[in-house]
Amino acid sequence: MVVTVNMVGLNAYRRDNFEHPDLGLAVVVALAAWTVAATWLYRDRARRTAVLLVADLAIVLAALVVTPWVKSPDFNATIPGFYVMGAFFAWAIHWHWRGGLVASALIAAFDLLPRSEVDQGNYGNTFLILIGGPIVGFMCESLQRMARERDAAERAAAAAEERTRLARAVHDGVLQVLAMVQRRGAADGGEWAELGRLAGEQERGLRSLIRQQDTVPTGAGGRVDLAGALEAMATAHPVRVEVATPGGAVLVEAHVASEVVAAVSACLDNVLAHVGPGATAWVLAQSAPDEVTVSVRDDGPGIGEGRLDEAAAQGRLGVASSIRGRVEELGGTARLESGSWGTEWELVVPLA
Amino acid sequence: MVRVMVVDDHPMWRDAVERDLQAAGHEVVAVASNGREAMARFPAAAPQVVVLDLQLPDHSGVQVTSMMLEHDPTARVLILSASGEQTDVLDAIKAGATGYLVKSASSAELIDAVTRVADGDTVFTPGLAGLVLGEFRRIADGPADDPVDQLTERETEILKMVATGMSYKQIAARLVLSHRTVQNHVQNTLRKLQMNNRVQLTRWAIEHGLDDTRE
Repeated sequence: MVVTVNMVGLNAYRRDNFEHPDLGLAVVVALAAWTVAATWLYRDRARRTAVLLVADLAIVLAALVVTPWVKSPDFNATIPGFYVMGAFFAWAIHWHWRGGLVASALIAAFDLLPRSEVDQGNYGNTFLILIGGPIVGFMCESLQRMARERDAAERAAAAAEERTRLARAVHDGVLQVLAMVQRRGAADGGEWAELGRLAGEQERGLRSLIRQQDTVPTGAGGRVDLAGALEAMATAHPVRVEVATPGGAVLVEAHVASEVVAAVSACLDNVLAHVGPGATAWVLAQSAPDEVTVSVRDDGPGIGEGRLDEAAAQGRLGVASSIRGRVEELGGTARLESGSWGTEWELVVPLA
Repeated sequence: MVRVMVVDDHPMWRDAVERDLQAAGHEVVAVASNGREAMARFPAAAPQVVVLDLQLPDHSGVQVTSMMLEHDPTARVLILSASGEQTDVLDAIKAGATGYLVKSASSAELIDAVTRVADGDTVFTPGLAGLVLGEFRRIADGPADDPVDQLTERETEILKMVATGMSYKQIAARLVLSHRTVQNHVQNTLRKLQMNNRVQLTRWAIEHGLDDTRE
């Protein structure tokens, strides 16, 4: 619109340059009318077809071509002047740098060819058009691609969030039923008690799975979530284990995580061997900036006074020394305490 | 006898909990299946203990907790949850709930928990104790100028034992303390957590100019 007003104004001001003012007026009026039409046509996405773009450019080129006849053959400025901008921006936006290049090349050619002589100003203008077309096109392409990528990322995030929400709703329902079966089973006894126990196992498994999902490893610099790894191991272990974590991921080096998990797993094996399959164990993970502490307790009768020393003297401390070995390898300490309340390992591992 | 309100969106659970409580001689004064109903019925029913499922369809468990306690600070909220969503549980406790139980707990455990919560005691699962420890750890590692209460060494020690599944009786025996002392220590940890939460909320309000009434 602005360039149209500019075009109309300039041509009105310089009308004395026209050899055929009537014809010139007709061309200017036609271009102004086309501007109004084009503005309306471009507004709706469905009408922005190749035909419209070609027509737009063709009209501009036609206006360039008729200039020598309407004005004198050695004219100074073309009738459309800067009006060519509209058409070539449209091409650049629609067909990106290629469109911009083609449109600007055509405009440059049609602008230069009819001229009897090319001065520095003409050259500068066409050069700018030639450069500007592809660049504007390229920028449009980048912008559109960025918008597309952002939309895709937003869609992916929304989809993931919705999946998690649905999974939660589904999981919650399943957990409710499993907990109910477990509860009623325990109350009714007999065969139902067995079913209830199985439901309880499944319930614990699912619950720990959900928690692991909540603490998805951020995976920065090869670090993994120790809390999630402990949950996963404990769920798979034959001993009934309850895992307490600080909430959120406990990120440690991958090899530290695997060694700690192996040590805790050995503690649980020990529980199974000494207390039996009916035992319950608790694993507590705590995290400080410079160290992680993992406690493992069982509800067994504890280890009698002197039993450990006796076993050490007889060289039967296989499991305990393997636990100590793993933790000391990481520069940490393993402490064993026992009493009427059961047996407890406390593993402290520094985070270098 | 304790006057109890049961808030749960699963009719199956609501009925089972109601039956268990009535069988144990408690009075169920109201039931609700979502946060809106719960808030509408709470003032008239005036329960001593609210057994609340965090996973309400309108996602309002935490909000319901704080609204109820604002309305009646003597009421006690016992959270009953199926999945043990970590952040929700911690938020509900910070909002003032004094008990937390997973749904797979037996009826005997539930009834025991209701009685204890009504008496002003706190009911922790090992999982919750782990979360509370983690929360205090995060506070300790945070900015040093925070005017918040830290746990004492004794409190941390006891909370660790709760987190590894020890009963108050076992803890009392292991530390050679009275049962009551252990109870008090655990209660203190919750009180500090809730206090810190209020301090943080107040500070947030001051930083954001919400205390400025001149405008």
